[in-house]
Amino acid sequence: VTAGGGAVIAVLLIAIVVSVATAARNPPADGAAAASDTPPAGATPAGALAVGDAAAPVTVELYLDYMCPFCGRFERANGAELERLVAAGTVRLELYPLSFLDRMSAGSRYSTRAANAVATVADRTPDTLLAVHAALFANQPDEGSRGLSDDDIAGLARRAGVSQQVTDAFDDRAFEGWIAGSTEEAFAGGITGTPTVKINGTVFPGDLYTVGPLTQAIGAAASR
Amino acid sequence: VAAPLAVLHRVRHSNGWIFGTMLFSACLSLLASLVLSIDAVRLAADPGTALSCNINSVLSCGTVATSPQAQLFGFPNAFLGLMAEPVVITIAVAGLGGVRFPRWFMFAAQVVYTLGVIFAYWLFYQSMFHIGALCPWCLLVTVSTTLVFATLTHVNIRDNNLLLPPRAHRALTSAIDADLDATVVIIWLLGLTLVVVLKYGSLLFG
Repeated sequence: VTAGGGAVIAVLLIAIVVSVATAARNPPADGAAAASDTPPAGATPAGALAVGDAAAPVTVELYLDYMCPFCGRFERANGAELERLVAAGTVRLELYPLSFLDRMSAGSRYSTRAANAVATVADRTPDTLLAVHAALFANQPDEGSRGLSDDDIAGLARRAGVSQQVTDAFDDRAFEGWIAGSTEEAFAGGITGTPTVKINGTVFPGDLYTVGPLTQAIGAAASR
Repeated sequence: VAAPLAVLHRVRHSNGWIFGTMLFSACLSLLASLVLSIDAVRLAADPGTALSCNINSVLSCGTVATSPQAQLFGFPNAFLGLMAEPVVITIAVAGLGGVRFPRWFMFAAQVVYTLGVIFAYWLFYQSMFHIGALCPWCLLVTVSTTLVFATLTHVNIRDNNLLLPPRAHRALTSAIDADLDATVVIIWLLGLTLVVVLKYGSLLFG
């Protein structure tokens, strides 16, 4: 019996060593591209992707993570309203796609991959940015899962109107370094979680998960 | 070869080793429960935080506020650890001091702690396969709870506290004499390690 126990222990130890070695040999993709922190074209100095009229009376800043379930709830409640207000020229929307929930995608760094896709779209074809942003939340994976694959993200983006040429550039991971940097900056600047919404620089303290309160606050800010 | 093994065997069955391991594991479990409780209270104190993904949370954000697993009894699960582990620490310290508790007391402790272990493993299963976040403090609770359970069971079989029929008691006593319990615990913990490494190995090198 002791020998049998010893054998099982030996087999388990070997299996653990092998799995650790395998994991060490295939680290989650973070190539040399991540070292560069070049911002996408049109990014604000603070690290946001801006959408809409620069002269709009109200600036809405949205700090989000594509893996964050509450950001998904925020989007379901307010996404269409924000899109409408941006189109009407009332709102300039500044998106801060963060990557701190990378720890919630079982090693696949979904937050970074999704944010990089959005930043790439902002860089190449900013007109389609909001559509891709909305599509990522409409198809948001469960927190803790590996998330959407790179192919799935590219497919979503193409259905949202992004060209193949641009979706192919997702694989360059050109903005991963910039995303890591702006995530750090956001938290250093006092953001404690996502979603955080600022209206003209002030954190909106109201209900983020039902339609109405945010629209009203934006309306009030616009008429001031 | 036989002499060191014999020494190891003797040490493993000594009161000092058994209650020492129990004390150490219960302290680890208490520490982990405290960290998780503070996290839960901090999040609950700020409704805005509870409805967002907090940068500092040690749990996944969805779990903290919304999942029924996080508060199975209507309060944060970690509170259970704050209630139970000090009792185990007391038993362990008393055991180190040579106290022999009545049989009904140790039997009750075994029953309650067995429920605790079942709960800890249910949570482990939930966090591995439904919640999905790697939570080091939760893993510490799983491992230390296992060790407390193993040592408590060891003592209770040795001291015949489990109200077992004589034949079952004899069988379990000889199993412990053959160090089968230690073998099982080692295999169990290695298996646990393997599951965690298989699922989260890539994170270790992220």
